[in-house]
Amino acid sequence: MSTKLRIALLAGLLAFASNLLIIGFIHFQTRDEIVSSLRRQVAEQSAALGQVYRAGGPAALKREVSEAAEAGDPQDAVSILDRSGRPLEGNVDAVVSPGAGSFGKARTAVLRMKGESSVLEASVNLRPVGDGQWLLTGRTVSAGISLRETLERSLVVALALSVILGLLCGLILGQYVDRRVHHIVSVADRIGGGDMSGRVPLSGANDSFGRLSRQINQMLDRISTLMSELRMLTDSLAHDLRSPVGRLRAAADAALTAETPEERDQMLGAIIRQSDSLMRILTTALEIARSEAFTSKNQFSWFDPAQLAGELVEMYEPVAEEAGAAMRLDRSSVVVPVFGHRQLLAQALSNLIENAIKYAASGGEIAVLVHDEDSTLKLGVTDRGPGIPAERRDEARRRFGRLDPSRSEEGAGLGLSLVQAIAHLHQGELALFDNAPGLVALVQIPMRGDAKHFRRAPLGLAL
Amino acid sequence: MGRKILIVEDDAETADYLSRGLSQEGHSVEQVANGQDGLYRATDGTFDLVILDRMVPIIDGLSVLRALRAAKIETPVLILSALASVGDRIEGLECGSDDYLVKPFSFAELLARANALLRRSEARVATDPRLTVGDLVIDPLSRTVKRAGKKIELKPREYLLLEYFARNEGRVVTRTMLLEQVWDYHFDPATNVIDVHVSRLRRKLEEGFDRPLLHTVRGAGYMLEA
Repeated sequence: MSTKLRIALLAGLLAFASNLLIIGFIHFQTRDEIVSSLRRQVAEQSAALGQVYRAGGPAALKREVSEAAEAGDPQDAVSILDRSGRPLEGNVDAVVSPGAGSFGKARTAVLRMKGESSVLEASVNLRPVGDGQWLLTGRTVSAGISLRETLERSLVVALALSVILGLLCGLILGQYVDRRVHHIVSVADRIGGGDMSGRVPLSGANDSFGRLSRQINQMLDRISTLMSELRMLTDSLAHDLRSPVGRLRAAADAALTAETPEERDQMLGAIIRQSDSLMRILTTALEIARSEAFTSKNQFSWFDPAQLAGELVEMYEPVAEEAGAAMRLDRSSVVVPVFGHRQLLAQALSNLIENAIKYAASGGEIAVLVHDEDSTLKLGVTDRGPGIPAERRDEARRRFGRLDPSRSEEGAGLGLSLVQAIAHLHQGELALFDNAPGLVALVQIPMRGDAKHFRRAPLGLAL
Repeated sequence: MGRKILIVEDDAETADYLSRGLSQEGHSVEQVANGQDGLYRATDGTFDLVILDRMVPIIDGLSVLRALRAAKIETPVLILSALASVGDRIEGLECGSDDYLVKPFSFAELLARANALLRRSEARVATDPRLTVGDLVIDPLSRTVKRAGKKIELKPREYLLLEYFARNEGRVVTRTMLLEQVWDYHFDPATNVIDVHVSRLRRKLEEGFDRPLLHTVRGAGYMLEA
């Protein structure tokens, strides 16, 4: 059964049930109303005739009854009955029920009126008037009943109409829901079939469907990013591991054909170095995949990024010095503790520092930067080296993207993409700017709102 | 100095390679191929070191480790693993292992780390808190270093580096061990940053003296020895 049909049926059923309730209420209410108004009329008439009887005796009553009977109101039943219940006077031809024995407490009766062939139900009042005779006043309820019947008929029609309207509303509603869900379903179908490019069209409305669509799109974006990352990773691994494996093999070949033991030792050393660098490539590739998949989020902790940067400056300063560059720490006066992966951020920063030492030591100055601006932590390195032209910066961030076309240097071009992956793990970005001359490479991490409290709170937790 | 070492490793080739190497060093080695046997053998607590592969059949390495630590068995454990990411290493260490070594590894690296762990388990009653290596005297309380009575000025990190060497006197210390223990970083730097620091320390220790103290061990690392 389709959703549309289900919703239509449900709406129809709901309309039926709710209208049944309302109609039932009207039905009982009106019936009670009609019956009680009849009773009142009958009681009033009976009381008036009783008055006449008490004032004028049986003769006056007889006169009054026959007058009332001749007044010709067809609904008015008025009669004097003998003790067996036979009419003596008035417009009643016969009392079909009840029997004379239970006249005392009868409220309704079935009568045959004079000049009528059929019996009629009537609301009656019977009061004893001397000699075992009874005064019957009543109103046949045909009028009330017919009103009720009209009402009931129209209520039934209304009920039927309401069910039809309910079904119709349900159909329209179902159509609407179906139309809104249809896109989502068809996109999901396509995704299930392997086409990751489909997205749910956004109507711009900010209702539940709109939010659902946006959520689904975000989820799909994330999944397809991960999938393409994964595909690119395996592709590039397969492609780019060829050269280090080739170098490894060449070194092994050279070791086999070495003339002297010293030469062989040298070649074996080269093999170990090559396999270490191969391992480093694999480890880095794994690290990137892990960071992009957010698997190490549970290892986040509070720490002081300025202290981390300070330690790394101290660690790399001698290396920079040997390469001919002076290294300094450039930090803003207040740096708020950050909630992040200390080891990975240390690795990201050390990658940037090592890049600067490797490619930009000629510039003479390398600064490690820790700034806390506009609730963004900026952690990075500025140098005065050759920099990266604007049009090549995306390429530099790409996995296995190496700007050196000959690829003669060791390394796999994973450094910056690991930094980028670590930035992503912290909801941040790796930004590359021109330092005119040189390069600014910054990991920009949005600070969590609650980190602001640490400015005033005791630093115990963070340090 | 033969010690008892338990190897829990399902890859027979690696296990034999380790077993052979460690036996040659004079240790008595026992080998099991799955986590269940490993846990069973390690529970008696008579081993001086457990070398535990992270991915072994029946019970995985980390579960074995957790079970051991829960049973208050404090035998030093060195985890071997092909899982090399920083997150994996930290997870391994947080589970209660004393060291974490990523496969593939060189035997020299493993031996250096195993020796460091074995030394730690030696119940040494230190009467003198000072560390002495030949004519080098290190006072951990005042953090001062003297060689042949002459004071050597060291930066804080250089001091930590020297103290770590001195505590592993006569044993090979690898670059990654230094990075992990002295700097507390668990990634592999691509530059020779450790070598630069070690050679600076060496210059300070050996300038004006004939006898070298800090030796380079080819293909492995460094060693402080008089």
